Amino acid sequence: MTAFVTLAGVYNTPVFGAERSQDQEWMSSRALEQFLASVEKRAFKIAQLSLRNDDDALDAVQDAMMKLARSYASRDSAEWRPLFYRILANGIRDMQRRRTVRGRIMAWLPARDAEDDEDFDPIAQAPSHEPNPARRLELDQAIGALETAVAELPARQKQAFLLRNFEGLDTSETANAMGCSEGSVKTHYFRALETLRARLGEVI
Amino acid sequence: MSQESQQDEFEKRTREVLEESATRLDGRTLSRLTQARHAALDQPQRPARGRWWVFVPAGAAAAVAVLAVSSWMGRSPVESTSPMEDLEFLTDAEASEFVTDGEELEFYEWAAGEMES
Repeated sequence: MTAFVTLAGVYNTPVFGAERSQDQEWMSSRALEQFLASVEKRAFKIAQLSLRNDDDALDAVQDAMMKLARSYASRDSAEWRPLFYRILANGIRDMQRRRTVRGRIMAWLPARDAEDDEDFDPIAQAPSHEPNPARRLELDQAIGALETAVAELPARQKQAFLLRNFEGLDTSETANAMGCSEGSVKTHYFRALETLRARLGEVI
Repeated sequence: MSQESQQDEFEKRTREVLEESATRLDGRTLSRLTQARHAALDQPQRPARGRWWVFVPAGAAAAVAVLAVSSWMGRSPVESTSPMEDLEFLTDAEASEFVTDGEELEFYEWAAGEMES
C-alpha cells in the first residue's frame, strides 16, 4: 500500500501540475479578457478625444491591447491598467506625430475633394440606446460641450485629466502611464480642471 | 460652498458626463472593440524576458563556431598559398605572359622598389 501511494504520488504529481498549469493559464487569459473588456470603452473615448478620429482611436486601442496581451500578460494583473494606459498614451503620441508629419507633406499636395474623406454611415453611427428625450438633450449638450473643451486642452493636460478623472487612475498610476513625475501630473490636472471649469461652469 | 467642494462636484459631474458618453458608443465601434480584444487574446504571447539566460549556451556555441570559421577563412593570401596553387600559377597561360613580358615586368620591379624605398 505504501508502494502504491508512493507510485501514485510520483505519477500523479506531474499530471496534476500540468492540469493546474492549464487551469492557471485559462484563468489568466480570462482575467486579461475581463480587464480589456472593462477598459475598452473608456480607452476608446480617451483615444477619440485625443486623436479626434474614430478609426485612429480604434487602431490605437487595438494596438495597446495587442501589446499588453503579447508582452505583459504574465505580469501581476494589478500592473495591467497603468501599463495599458502607458502603451495607449505612447501609441496616441506616435499617431499624433505621424499625423503632423503627414500634414506637412499633404500641405504640398493639391487639396482633395472634401466628399472623398466623408465616411459617414448614419446607421452605423446611430446610438446604441435611447434615454428619455429631455434627459437625452441635456446630456447631449453636456457631452458635446465637455468633449469639445477636453479635445482642445493641451495634450498633457488632456492626458492627465482623462486618466485621473475619467479612468480613475491615482496620481502615481497616472504619472507612470504618462512617463512623468507625480508633481507634473498634479500641475497638468489642476490646470485642465481650471480651464474646463472656466469654459463649462454653466453647462456642466 | 467651498472652493474644494465645488471642485469635487465639478470633477464628479465631468466624470459622469464622460461615462455617459462611453455608454453611447455605436454598435460598429463596440463590435470593433470586441474584435480587437479577441485578436489580442488569440495571438501568441512573447516569452518572459527573464528567460534570456536559457539561450546563453547556444549563443556561446554559435559565437565559437563563427569565430572558428572566420579565422579559418580570414587567413592571409601568403599563408594560404599551397604548393599546388604555386604550380597552378606557373602553368597558367596569362601568368606566363606576365612573366615573359619584359616591359610590364620592369614596371612592376620599379613599382616594388618605390614601395620599399
